[in-house]
Amino acid sequence: MNVFQRALKNKQLVAGSILGALVLLLGIFGPLVFGDYAKQDLLMGHKPVGTPGFFFGTDALGRDLAARATFGIRISLLVAVSVTAIAVVMGTLIGLIAGYVKGTLDTVISWVVDFVWGFPLILVAVLAAASIGSGLLPVILAVGLVNTVAIARVVRGEVLGISEREYVVAAKAGGYSVGRIVLRHIVPNVIPVALVLSSYYVAVAIIAEASLSFVGLGAQPPLPSLGQMVSEGRNFLRLNHWEATIPGVIIFAMVLSVSLIGDGLRDLLDPRLRTAVERASAK
Amino acid sequence: MISIVKRVLLTFLLLLLSSLAVFAAIRLSGGDVTAARLPASATAQDRAAFREQIGLNKPILTQYVDYLGKVVKGDLGNSLTNNAKISTLAVDKIKNSLILGGAAIVLVFGIGIPLGMLAAFRRNSWLDTSISSASVAGMAIPNFWLALLVVWLFSSTLGWFPSAGQGGIKYLVLPSIVLAAEGIALTVRMTRSAMLENLGQDFVRTLRASGLSESRIYFKHVLRNSLLPIISLAGLRVGQIVGYALVVETIFGWPGVGQILVNGVLRRDYPIVQFFSLLLVVVVTLGNLAASVGYTLANPRLRK
Repeated sequence: MNVFQRALKNKQLVAGSILGALVLLLGIFGPLVFGDYAKQDLLMGHKPVGTPGFFFGTDALGRDLAARATFGIRISLLVAVSVTAIAVVMGTLIGLIAGYVKGTLDTVISWVVDFVWGFPLILVAVLAAASIGSGLLPVILAVGLVNTVAIARVVRGEVLGISEREYVVAAKAGGYSVGRIVLRHIVPNVIPVALVLSSYYVAVAIIAEASLSFVGLGAQPPLPSLGQMVSEGRNFLRLNHWEATIPGVIIFAMVLSVSLIGDGLRDLLDPRLRTAVERASAK
Repeated sequence: MISIVKRVLLTFLLLLLSSLAVFAAIRLSGGDVTAARLPASATAQDRAAFREQIGLNKPILTQYVDYLGKVVKGDLGNSLTNNAKISTLAVDKIKNSLILGGAAIVLVFGIGIPLGMLAAFRRNSWLDTSISSASVAGMAIPNFWLALLVVWLFSSTLGWFPSAGQGGIKYLVLPSIVLAAEGIALTVRMTRSAMLENLGQDFVRTLRASGLSESRIYFKHVLRNSLLPIISLAGLRVGQIVGYALVVETIFGWPGVGQILVNGVLRRDYPIVQFFSLLLVVVVTLGNLAASVGYTLANPRLRK
């Protein structure tokens, strides 16, 4: 069986991908279909789901919940996916350098990485908000920092192991350049690990962004964020619980799909990773 | 041993550096610290005088050393918003957070380990499938959303527990469950996979061959080997719980360290933010140190 056929037989991967694709489509086309997220009509507050013109109803300020929730998906994914993508590149690079060069450089990098790694993402984001003020920027900085060190930490460990293998030793003995050894023999073996880990860190980032916005330190109004919508909606649970339920279910679906994809990829790419990933995500 | 001593010393060095970084970051922020205390009508001169009076115009390193000196003597300064003494506030808040965090830790291991064992013991049965799926879901639900669900079910609908505030043990139930949820899910997964891994080891085959009963192998030998690494990592759970406490305490109106820190950031009350964020940095760092030392001690292979 080739990789594609095996992927189709992997239930978690298929379920996660379908769920993820649905959320992604909502995020891409929702704002185009439902229009401006900031448009409000104060006389049209708390309309139920299915009100003509308002697919998901309206919030307390008479704003279209469908427009706001779908735009919220864009913000959430933008912060979580793009920042984690940058973190994967930087983390892999730092891990490669530390693991391959070794010596003092590795020692210093490892100290810092281990120290930062231990901090929960939400605490780092709150500390960042304390120093530069509330908004999306502290969330982005925190996600970038914590995810970079988390990936660097695991990649370094992998590189240390791989560079002891016979084929790397043979390549060195054969007089190949450092660049060739790293690119041809080490990087391809490290990429699957970084890829699988990144899906877990995307999930953590989505939760951190939503949580911070929920307590008021993340995205600031009028920018819609799913966490902030849940926070506003919770005051009106008896009146119209959809104001909190819709954004809440979307966050849950996003995190679930990313976690399922992560589990699926792990089994697909390398079952041996199972324990390595569990140890790394056990924070 | 030497490696452990080295690690402890290093942690304290990094702790000092990172606390200086947090301290400096709060001061370098563009935000106006005078807004929390002075009325909107205050002039630029008033604001400058205020900054001078609270010592914000000195070099940051001097301020940091001064601050540490005061902290050692027990003087933590006053809140900018209501002038309350932070040293008095801190005792109360720390006590409340310890109660909530302690309850959550007990739940994480008290529920997580038995469920993980059950799933491993009955692997691939419907029980295993439901426990494993529930733990995937438990990790995917953000805890503020879980908080709303349990409040809606157990407080608004059934009326069993109060939705917020602090009082008897009744007030502790919902926030501690929400705070522990992700840790429980993780512990279930870790216990299950550790037990399954150990069940496949050679020593189990040898024990079986020597005629030990299945339950004895399971509870005495496999369990011990599986739980040591999990429990030795309890320090990591502390860090995780500190992070989530920031959100959970805010939602449930639990008057602890997390709530006062988040409110402090929202109100730009910098003495509050400074003390409580440094406190959490210290707690998380010590938790991680405990985990790394504990993990080394629990794994003879890692000892040098």
